[in-house]
Amino acid sequence: MRRYDRITPDGAKDRLFEQCDVRREVLSALSALFSARSYREAITPGFEFYDVFDSSSSSLPQDGMFKLTDLKGRLLVARPDSTVPIARLVATRLRGHSLPIRLYYSQNVYRMVSGSNGQSGEIMQAGVELIGSSTAKSDIEVLTLAAEALKRCGLSDFRIELGHIGIYKYLINRIGCGDEQREDIRSCIESKNYAALGDLLSGFDSPAARALGQLPRLFGGEEVFEKAAVLFRDFADEDLEKVLGYLKSVYRTLQRCGLDGKLMVDFGLVNQADYYTGIIFHGYISEAGEPVASGGRYDGLIKDFGESLPATGFAVNVDLVSAALLQSGGVREQPERVLVFCREDETAEALGCIGELEKSGVTAEFCTLESLDEAVSYAKKTGIKRICVVERGCVRTIDAGGDADE
Amino acid sequence: MSKLRIALTKGRLEDKTVELFEQMGLDCSAIRSKGRSLILHIPEPDIDVVLAKAADVITYVESGVCDMGVVGKDTIQECGSSFYEVLDLGFGRCRFALAVPAGSDFYGGYGTKRIATKYPKVARSYFEGKGMDIDVVKIEGSVELAPLLGLADGIVDIVETGRTLKENGLEIAEYVSDISARLIVNIASLKLKKKDIEDFIERIERCL
Repeated sequence: MRRYDRITPDGAKDRLFEQCDVRREVLSALSALFSARSYREAITPGFEFYDVFDSSSSSLPQDGMFKLTDLKGRLLVARPDSTVPIARLVATRLRGHSLPIRLYYSQNVYRMVSGSNGQSGEIMQAGVELIGSSTAKSDIEVLTLAAEALKRCGLSDFRIELGHIGIYKYLINRIGCGDEQREDIRSCIESKNYAALGDLLSGFDSPAARALGQLPRLFGGEEVFEKAAVLFRDFADEDLEKVLGYLKSVYRTLQRCGLDGKLMVDFGLVNQADYYTGIIFHGYISEAGEPVASGGRYDGLIKDFGESLPATGFAVNVDLVSAALLQSGGVREQPERVLVFCREDETAEALGCIGELEKSGVTAEFCTLESLDEAVSYAKKTGIKRICVVERGCVRTIDAGGDADE
Repeated sequence: MSKLRIALTKGRLEDKTVELFEQMGLDCSAIRSKGRSLILHIPEPDIDVVLAKAADVITYVESGVCDMGVVGKDTIQECGSSFYEVLDLGFGRCRFALAVPAGSDFYGGYGTKRIATKYPKVARSYFEGKGMDIDVVKIEGSVELAPLLGLADGIVDIVETGRTLKENGLEIAEYVSDISARLIVNIASLKLKKKDIEDFIERIERCL
């Protein structure tokens, strides 16, 4: 039998050195931000019952989840998403807790991927959930926090794109079509497939169908609101006006929060069979070909677990952000490295010296080689500039002049 | 304006796309005299053109290393996942069809049918839509051979004129879907380079 003992599975990978450094920095910047804004950490299990993710409003695609069984033969999945488990946790463990509840998480999610196009099946996400509030203030808080999160990661050139699932839901309910057709229409809007969308909608001759056909084209800056107003003028419907007005007022407030120039609108944001019920948004950076952050309001999800609570939140894809930072060289400089050498009988003193050096903020490495000559050539090879030699209780510093070739 | 990068499917679609670009008034002399280079430049608007195999066009656009791509709907159906498919360019028209040995009744009997194809995903999802189990055999070359050799009951393949089918004793049982060249756009690119990409799309639309 072929043994797969020297490679990692499709979608999984090892990380080393600066890859770990930058990822840790992103994670700690984000946790620091979230906890400074009064979010407390939650950690949910790495595997859970399949049923949790099969609730009526979440419906994550079954074929994207890693499955296993427990000893009783019950179906488990490796956590495919963090929001659904948090909804479960809030509806059960935090029942009756004073509202709103603010939680943050930084954990991996797992997805089945083919592996042939470099997709990752293990994605580190850091995000927040603000539960128990349906006010505009809570939407704005989460949106500005998402923008701040990207900023704190060291990405200044980001964009936040806003949409509202209510517009699509309103229109699609108006044209009256079956579930399958509905999904076809939704996926054409999502992929901005104007041609196929036009064909699909040609059978429906109604203002709602015409408006749906225009949805994917309604994206861009503030001018989109005017275009939308023209498009939806004929409906003169209170609910629709309310959604449009709300989206616009959120946009305006965000502008005043210092996000002017960072904002975009896309009326064609319609995530697949998602739990979202209101504002939805994505964060983009130029270094990544897909959104690096996404989130929105999901007022129906927690009800699936027995508590009716409004909620909103977002997650940052830490892996994409880290890759972008590595690529743009935005990695913080590492502290100076010092090599500490001694003869074997002075090991205790040398280790004491390492403790002192550590306090002064340098990275001190204990030299386990036998001779000073070996130590010098090792320092040169690995780019260490300074060697501390501990000799008869004294510390002597040698300039190794190491060429950084690492 | 920021530089745009577009991936074109090498071969017939490339020729058609270059014709379209020239109709739009773009200077394609670098592509016309490309030699062996794979990245070529169009001076106005500032565009890098990448020549690639069809499936690779999708990979490049999906990952964002290319902002746009021209690729056949056949390849999109077989390997596509997340990007915007914004324009039907109208050329490269053909169809996916189910072809069977002339005179045979593909849907007759209760045995599981076997389909030979270069497009396993297309074949599977077509029959899945009919609620029908099939065996799929992936063939790389002339798919028409498989039913002749008795390996398959039918084929799902691209059909233009149907001549190859006829010469090999096959006939079209039904059409699966229409195919033509599409302009696809990376999701983040469309958002971050909206103006440039939309201008470019509009220029194309005026020539279609």
